[in-house]
Amino acid sequence: MISERTLRNLRRELRRSLLAKIGIVVVVFILLMAVFAPFISPYSPGKQNLDEARLPPVGFSTAETREVTKMENGSVVIEGGEVVTEERTVYTNATAAHPLGTDGNGRDILSRVIYGARTSILVGIFGTSLAALIGVLVGLTAGYYRGRVDDVLMRSADIMLAFPSLVLAIALVGVWGQAQAPIPDPFVVTGLAPAFRSALGFTTGMPDTVVLPGTVIVVVALVNWVWFARVARGEALSIREEEYVKAARALGASDGWTVLRHVLPNAITPILVLATIQVAAIILLESALSFLGFSGADVSWGFDIALGRQYQSTAWWISTIPGLAIVITVVGLNLVGDWLRDALDPGIEGEGGV
Amino acid sequence: MAEPILKIRDLSTSFFTEEGKVNAVDSVTFDVEDGEIFGIVGESGSGKSVTALSVIDLIDSPGRVTGGEVWYRNADLAEEFRGSRPEAVDGDFVDVRRLPKGVRRSLRGPSFSMIFQDAMSSFNPSITVGEQIAEAVEVQRRARANPRRTRSRTQGYGLGSAILDTFLPNRDYVSNKSMDRAVELLDQVGIPDPEDRAEEYPHQFSGGMLQRAMIAQALAGEPDILVADEPTTALDVTIQAQILNLLRDLQEQEGMSILMITHNLGVIARMCDRVGVMYAGEIVERGPLGDIFENPVHPYTQGLLGSVPDIDDPSDRLEPITGNVPSLLESEMPNACYFADRCPKAMTDCMTRIPEYDLDGRHSVRCVLAEREYDEADALEQEVMADD
Amino acid sequence: MSLSRFLVKRSLQGLFVIWGVITVVFGLRFISPGDPANVLLPPDVDPEVRAEVIAELGLNEPLYVQYWDFISGIPLGELGNSLVTRTPVAARVLAKLPATLELAIAATIVAIVIAIPLGVISATRRHQPADYGATVFSLVGISTPNFWLGVMLIIVLAVQFDLFPTSQRPIGVDGIVLLFVSGSLGEAVNGLTTWLWHITLPAVTLGTYFTALITRLTRSGMLDQLGQTYVRASRAKGLPETLVRYKHALRNTLIPVITVIGLQLGTLIGGAVITEAVFAWPGLGTLIINSINARDWPVLQGSLIVVAVGFVLVNILVDALYAYVNPQVAYD
Ligand SMILES: Nc1ncnc2c1ncn2[C@@H]1O[C@H](COP(=O)(O)OP(=O)(O)OP(=O)(O)O)[C@@H](O)[C@H]1O
Ligand code: SF4
Ligand SMILES: [Mg+2]
Repeated sequence: MISERTLRNLRRELRRSLLAKIGIVVVVFILLMAVFAPFISPYSPGKQNLDEARLPPVGFSTAETREVTKMENGSVVIEGGEVVTEERTVYTNATAAHPLGTDGNGRDILSRVIYGARTSILVGIFGTSLAALIGVLVGLTAGYYRGRVDDVLMRSADIMLAFPSLVLAIALVGVWGQAQAPIPDPFVVTGLAPAFRSALGFTTGMPDTVVLPGTVIVVVALVNWVWFARVARGEALSIREEEYVKAARALGASDGWTVLRHVLPNAITPILVLATIQVAAIILLESALSFLGFSGADVSWGFDIALGRQYQSTAWWISTIPGLAIVITVVGLNLVGDWLRDALDPGIEGEGGV
Repeated sequence: MAEPILKIRDLSTSFFTEEGKVNAVDSVTFDVEDGEIFGIVGESGSGKSVTALSVIDLIDSPGRVTGGEVWYRNADLAEEFRGSRPEAVDGDFVDVRRLPKGVRRSLRGPSFSMIFQDAMSSFNPSITVGEQIAEAVEVQRRARANPRRTRSRTQGYGLGSAILDTFLPNRDYVSNKSMDRAVELLDQVGIPDPEDRAEEYPHQFSGGMLQRAMIAQALAGEPDILVADEPTTALDVTIQAQILNLLRDLQEQEGMSILMITHNLGVIARMCDRVGVMYAGEIVERGPLGDIFENPVHPYTQGLLGSVPDIDDPSDRLEPITGNVPSLLESEMPNACYFADRCPKAMTDCMTRIPEYDLDGRHSVRCVLAEREYDEADALEQEVMADD
Repeated sequence: MSLSRFLVKRSLQGLFVIWGVITVVFGLRFISPGDPANVLLPPDVDPEVRAEVIAELGLNEPLYVQYWDFISGIPLGELGNSLVTRTPVAARVLAKLPATLELAIAATIVAIVIAIPLGVISATRRHQPADYGATVFSLVGISTPNFWLGVMLIIVLAVQFDLFPTSQRPIGVDGIVLLFVSGSLGEAVNGLTTWLWHITLPAVTLGTYFTALITRLTRSGMLDQLGQTYVRASRAKGLPETLVRYKHALRNTLIPVITVIGLQLGTLIGGAVITEAVFAWPGLGTLIINSINARDWPVLQGSLIVVAVGFVLVNILVDALYAYVNPQVAYD
């Protein structure tokens, strides 16, 4: 399936491309962060502390003019039966306990970024897999049988493409409502993470479930399967003309077997390249749905950006930091996608020889 | 004998690739005489195209002409630069590589022109053939009208002109006069219905017709030297012959010189007055056609000739050459004759860089056999040769 | 195939897709849990009233009748009535359309004006600082969620530096034209500056992804074209470099870029929806989001149809343009 030559191309391209290296490091980092969230997150993402709301990230402090009770010699000043107030500049300093600051409810932003990675990665991976499954099935069928079947399937793909994916996703999630499946977090349920944390003296009380945003995953797959269908169909169309495929069919191999044995393995490479880029696209889509409040997720980068908007004039970091997390993740995925594309399909960017 | 119009001296071109420096053309020296056809022949990858492109200064990054001189006979230019750039002038000759960039560019068209192997990819697919030929006419028309501007960096055609030409419907780079001339040129190269064909796009032409159109385009500037890089390789045999005849006729009519690049000895035999044989970026043997064909000295030339069926003399056939052209990566080139690993006559003497030996003032060769006989006793070990 | 036959074929395909779009949108109602009458009525309503409302909405008709009612009105511009306001959906969609179109067109202009020169510079100065800058910009540009970019622009340029307003669209192009026609030139100019001032941040927000994308496409297309033999041949015949680059290479680069822009118009509309949400821009996107929150299905359906049909039409237009500038398509 993945030949020696392919691996060699991948290695060579990786060796000469700094950007590809950066991309891999970023993606691996984000993946580890998502998987090991219950070990490394400083707090539970939902833990509120209203006394510590809106603390800035380390390196920043905020100044705010507030009306406070006027005090003199340690006692409240009262004039004409009224408590006297005065304007005072109040400075809020960052604390090392919350390196990326806290949000409007005093929740630790770093913890929310770490747990938010789980939502993005889950939707990205499951959404892409589902889209690939649907798309590849449809595409291979269309390309292998051609004729009527092809026409019907590809015209339905055209119809899907006529809807802007975000608009369709909003409509579908809006219509369907938000089904979420809490699944137990293996690290917490087995006691691994709590033991680790108490051994190191970390705060405990990590959430014991991971919320799988079911509707969102189905919807992003329904919206994005078409791209996989197109690629798979193109591959199937060309591969079915190869001599060895014709030979296999002439020898009486069943259609299903031929597709599985001969067509699919050859289509794997372009599908893999597409999948990488699709994970990025789907993460962006999920964050948009969450931003609009349609995904139902309450720990999600997009959702946190929306939460921060009401503090946009006083606490910029609440919206800024989760957005940076999205940008970094998506840049990493796009770099990996570019790497795969350049390594596996060198014809894409023509160099033009003599 | 006629005087040279072009004297190439020690011309070297390298490509600076990720794998390392590739010496595609290595100290190449030859002359092209007035009104002659000089042929360069060699295997694929031997550096023929790069030589041609280096001569007309069209090497793109990552390549660069790294040294040597391109002396071009042009009394007017010589006069013009004798004072300001004495190092670039020698008698009636100018060293094109030492002229200012703008002047070098202005030589393309009226002094040098080039035709390529694949006519279909040498025309812009989305512009009519007539207009593309007319462009070549138009450059020269504008150059005659205003020679100084033509030598400026933008050749008098800047971004402003390009934008205006794109957006104003009544503006076009090409004038009607040039279009008329383009039709004449199409007619001259033997294209029937030239008015109609001029309005057609490249993909509507057949391969042979398009090759003719490309020749017409190259003639637009009335060049002194036409560089033809494998002009017939992509064509059917019958059409090949027609194109070669056309080139020959045009060369006689216009009195130009042709630098003919090919890997086909038949083309050389039929067209050329003198020949250079290229191997691994070097010209290993050159001289008049007769000398090279009758008296080849270099074992590579002998091998090349041996691999062509010779109807006149079937008895004396040499073995075809086995093996491949080396990679030309500088780091992998041996400090020896580059042909040594394939040479049936390689000797211990060959394990050093070989200079060019002049045999009789016209015929020269890069091989120790110019000076000594092959001696079995000095032969290199077989294993050295049987690499690959 | 001649150009006109190509266009006829393309239009027929388009009609089929439009029919499909309408059918899918019709079907959308059936996947939603709960029936539309619930939106209008309190849960403990008298069954008789309930039956009346259902009859009024035509929900008790057989499916094919409902389908026919739905589809037959569309060519006449009838998209049904809003469940909430009881006013015609078509009128509401139409009222919101200019704001979205303005935004989309402004963003496209921003994108094209910046991206094409940037891509060309990047390709012609390969491996120079300008090229690296453009590459990084386009990489980050295609990876940035536009709603976050909008929030950032608001925080920095509107809140911190107070250069732009945070939101709203006090006047539209339609309003400006009206002022202009009615002869109040001064007010029209005022309106225009207000409009520009308000649309800048939303247009940049929406346009950044496209700028990045088109920069990327232009760069790689230009590099590809500049490596072609015909470019070398053009130089060999002595053409000025400007002519080689812009008349030859750039034009051939733009032909595929136009198609991609056409294909990406859907993303542009999707982006507009969320940009509108960030900037409280009163367009179709806001209408769609509000209709979902209010469970006002006819409005959602009508908006979806307008968006999708518009997208299909624009794509036919782009294909026609493509066939026109690229003669090979029509002749092949
Ligand atoms: N753009 C380039 N980048 C790197 N190396 C190049 C480039 N162009 C040419 N070369 C090198 O120069 C060598 C000579 O190439 P050239 O095209 O001149 O061969 P040729 O003799 O014309 O062969 P052919 O008959 O195949 O046209 C090649 O081996 C190649 O390695
Ligand atoms: S120099 Fe030696 S190795 Fe080279 S061609 Fe001559 S005989 Fe052969
Ligand atoms: Mg060549």
